Amino acid sequence: MNRRTFVRGFCSCATAALAGCVADNNRPITGGSPELAPGYRPASSTDEGGLWAQMERAEADLKRSRFLVQDPATRAYVNDIACRLSKDFCPDLRVYVVNTPYFNAMMAPNGMMQIWTGLLLRVQNEAQLAAVIGHEMGHYLRRHSLQRWRDARNKTDFAAFFAFAGVPGMIAQFGVLASIFSFSREQEREADAVGLDLMAKAGYRPLEAVSVWEQLIAEQKAAGVNRSRSVFFASHPEPEERVESLRAQAVQRTDPMIGDGIQYDRFRYELRTIRTMLLADELKLRQFDQSEVVFDLLLKAHPESAEIFFYKGEIYRQRNADGDRTKAYAAYERSIVLPGTPPETYRSLGLIQMRDKDYSKAEVSFRRYLELHPHAPDRVMILSYIQRQS
Amino acid sequence: MKYLGVVAACLAAAFLAACQTTAHQQMPEFNRVSGSPRILLVPVDVELSEVTAGGLNEPKADWTEAARQNIGPVLRAEHDARGNLLIDYVEAEGDPNHAAYEQILKLHSVVGKSAIIHQYVPGLQLPAKGGKFDWSLGPSVEILRQKYDADYALFVYIRDSYASAGRAAVMVVAALFRVGLQGGVQTGFASLVDLRTGDIVWFNRLARPGGDLRTPEAAQETIKTLLVGPPK
Repeated sequence: MNRRTFVRGFCSCATAALAGCVADNNRPITGGSPELAPGYRPASSTDEGGLWAQMERAEADLKRSRFLVQDPATRAYVNDIACRLSKDFCPDLRVYVVNTPYFNAMMAPNGMMQIWTGLLLRVQNEAQLAAVIGHEMGHYLRRHSLQRWRDARNKTDFAAFFAFAGVPGMIAQFGVLASIFSFSREQEREADAVGLDLMAKAGYRPLEAVSVWEQLIAEQKAAGVNRSRSVFFASHPEPEERVESLRAQAVQRTDPMIGDGIQYDRFRYELRTIRTMLLADELKLRQFDQSEVVFDLLLKAHPESAEIFFYKGEIYRQRNADGDRTKAYAAYERSIVLPGTPPETYRSLGLIQMRDKDYSKAEVSFRRYLELHPHAPDRVMILSYIQRQS
Repeated sequence: MKYLGVVAACLAAAFLAACQTTAHQQMPEFNRVSGSPRILLVPVDVELSEVTAGGLNEPKADWTEAARQNIGPVLRAEHDARGNLLIDYVEAEGDPNHAAYEQILKLHSVVGKSAIIHQYVPGLQLPAKGGKFDWSLGPSVEILRQKYDADYALFVYIRDSYASAGRAAVMVVAALFRVGLQGGVQTGFASLVDLRTGDIVWFNRLARPGGDLRTPEAAQETIKTLLVGPPK
């Protein structure tokens, strides 16, 4: 879609909104002002105080977790983006990067935010990362956890009296469960709106939030992911629907006079220490079709990355379906002509050459691997391969 | 989180099945210390909540804080009376072994909860244990012994809930339909770990409908119940 159709799409939407006949899923939700003041802390005698105290204990556990990414640059970077977005609320929010290779982020009522490493691999620039952080802040600023708790409590209170009335009571309970569920989707939409507001105010192009979802949809489609089995999609609105409502809201908040906030170089630089880990962890999931989409998207942004070509080759070598061997060769060969190829590229190349009974080439590849990585942990194994070839 | 849910369910099941207040377990053989043992007191893991009419547990920060305040002195007094010396665990961020200490505490919370599930819940006992109480954190706990010069470490975990007015009303309605509903319950465990071997040498489970921790007097009763029959 080019920019013009984009803008035209927006104009017709805006007209519809003025006429007061907006499709339900496009209903604009304004970010509006937060429910909390900066520095807010609930009284300990309230239900909210109870939730906070419980989350503070969870946070103390999280701080001790070995899954926490300790890299100072990464931690400082995500917290810095959080502060740019949250401004006066900066001291109230703490962002933790958690080493889990899936796309997700979470917000606790007390200001503890978690970002999973699979998400860091999938966002393409700072504005996209800001979109996710802004969305999570929306949950905090609108006290969604508290709302959800109160809603669940009220509904189960009500249901408790029905529970003894036989079958009709059971149906009533099912109804209660379903509405607890839809309530949280409504909150997702509201968090989207708040997030877009924060992005626009901090100088990030709100439309980047749309890209995050489009990328995710492309990945899911490529892999034929069964959404009904995904925890993530169960609690979030259907992505296609969300993209459309997000787009409408993002366009409203787009100011062409302000920069896009993409900050690509800074994004690359600040996450440099953990990038190899992100790629390696994605590969370990063995969800090759999905990973292929993810790596291709990254390659679009850095077509000269020897490392990403290596990992792409690994997908094909490990999947080993029809035609994958050829694709693996192509990826490794691309990787080794670029600067900074990992020594492991030669090992992998040697392994597929060996599989193809191309022993003399395999020997050259293995020797090169050991030359570049003299203390390789699998040195003895590789030497045994070399002996076997000759 | 999910795991905690399972533990809560098992604690409740253990309570419903046995309907006894406590049942302490002890390793048949363990090294006893001559003289007054020095016991490292790990921060008590306690949470108090209110059961809503619908049966959800609403965490209560003020009650939890009161309970924490009440439990400390009571534990100390209990141990003074027995001639044990209690040493407080302190968070030492600067200590190079800090992360290792914290891992030991986390390991205990996992082992302790496994002990609850597989020692007390009928049908879930592990056949290989042969009915013996045999749980250990392993000798890596030695670093805590060195740091605090302590012989044992004491872990206390309590989840205590109280029926709200709404819950009480629902229980009355349920009773009319001849359905027995749970109000508040007090569940938890105390565990004594030998810091030379890592073995849990004494373990007690708490699971009962009554009990309170919100006042010093009630807390004293609860702690006395929990610490019944410690190793001699």
